[in-house]
Amino acid sequence: MDQLLQHALNAMILGGTYALLGIGLTLIFGIMRVVNFTHGELYAFGAYMMYMWVMLIGANFVVSIALAVALGVLLGAGIEILLLRRLRGADIDTTMLVMIGAWIAMQNTEQLVWSGVAKSIDSPFPSAPLVMGGVSVSWTRLFVFAVAVMLIAGTWVLIQKTRLGKAMRATFQDREAAALMGVRIDRVHTATFAIGSGLAAAAGALLGPVFVVYPTIGDLASLKAFAIVILGGLGSIPGATIGGFILAFMEELGAGYVSSGYRDAMGFLLIIVILLVKPTGLFARKERIG
Amino acid sequence: MLEVEGLVCRYGKVEAVRDLTMRVERGELVTLIGANGAGKTTSMKAISGLLTPAAGRIVFDGEDITRAPARRVLELGIAHCPEGRRVFPYMTVRENLEMGCFLRRDGAGIADDMDRLFARFPILAERRDQAAGTLSGGEQQMLAISRALMSRPKLVLFDEPSLGLAPNLVERTFEIIDGIRRDGVTVVMVEQNAFAALELSDRSYVLEQGRVTLTGTGRELLENPHVRQAYLGA
Repeated sequence: MDQLLQHALNAMILGGTYALLGIGLTLIFGIMRVVNFTHGELYAFGAYMMYMWVMLIGANFVVSIALAVALGVLLGAGIEILLLRRLRGADIDTTMLVMIGAWIAMQNTEQLVWSGVAKSIDSPFPSAPLVMGGVSVSWTRLFVFAVAVMLIAGTWVLIQKTRLGKAMRATFQDREAAALMGVRIDRVHTATFAIGSGLAAAAGALLGPVFVVYPTIGDLASLKAFAIVILGGLGSIPGATIGGFILAFMEELGAGYVSSGYRDAMGFLLIIVILLVKPTGLFARKERIG
Repeated sequence: MLEVEGLVCRYGKVEAVRDLTMRVERGELVTLIGANGAGKTTSMKAISGLLTPAAGRIVFDGEDITRAPARRVLELGIAHCPEGRRVFPYMTVRENLEMGCFLRRDGAGIADDMDRLFARFPILAERRDQAAGTLSGGEQQMLAISRALMSRPKLVLFDEPSLGLAPNLVERTFEIIDGIRRDGVTVVMVEQNAFAALELSDRSYVLEQGRVTLTGTGRELLENPHVRQAYLGA
């Protein structure tokens, strides 16, 4: 029983960051119809920025997370303005190829700048875990979970309540009608890609100190983000949130009860099953956001 | 107030509008009638900035808006109520109206206008927190019209407002549009329902294959033999 509880707790904590990753990707696909292959590289970017601020510059841990997210937002805005804006209206294949190119270029830049050696990031939290009955959890992971939940809630409020959020939803539901309301579609695209990228960078900055950081961590992050989004239905934020938790539970339980070697395979197994049973994803009613 | 001169619009190599010239004076209700594919919707989109004309000139209140983006056209006072209603289906009625005044910053004025629209269309007030996609066609059309009015436009472009509505609602829609004109808002309307459109309008343009082939007052066109034969089925 304790073992099951322990797995569930680990899954909850991992699920929070997976949800961030998924929400970022689903926003971008939902509003821009761009299959964003650079998503995982923004995750890696967030992790490396965390490494830079905490380990090289010696900034405060919490401040470093904020900086990593802010830089992720800026990088996302840059990619949108430099690459995607020019491709507006281009064929989806063209856009995909450009994004695959950007992904490879970014990953190689990371390798060049940071070398292939894995880096670890020190956490300021006590190393002795919090023990509750038969389960234990590290303070770092609890902190990561709390920040992830705050970011998910913040994104939700942004989409539902703010002027920008309304513009984003309107653009998603009917681009032309949104333009007629005076929404600047270009700016909505830039903001969407920037926010989505910021969330991926946040996931990287949060998980960097939990695991280790190396240049190809983005690949698996990308794959998992796609898995989560497919699970939850494209364009659905609640779907991506729940999808993130489902994937984390699958991985934890699979690793715990089947074999830890199959951890990363579990999620994909689940996706194959879901796509066979309900190809639109678990939560997609039609196409929607919010 | 609105002048369109020699407008040409292309989709790739297809010329949807070949040579459209029209004038709308302040306070008028002007209609464009014509068959499917005559270029009516394309002309509306060119005016509201959804697409850029290949040639010609569009001037509104002395400002050249030929290449102006949709946002600028709206700022100048032209609202576009598009074909097929195009409400935001997953937004509530109230959020749809809020999108209608996306560019306005006068909170008190917005609240007033919303109250006035809710008084005029009680069904929208009743459903204010319901997703617009769950409304009936007629209710969605009222919402689309209200949304266009929320920007306090000087001129409203209505594209096929009666399309797909039940006959009693068609009549109601035309009454609403007539009411908007009586409130002092200039109206340009595209309609396939030529009879109703001509009855309502001060002046009308007949569009055929992207060109204006006839123009006159609503009454004149109602009596014109070609119009009677081609559009009124008489």
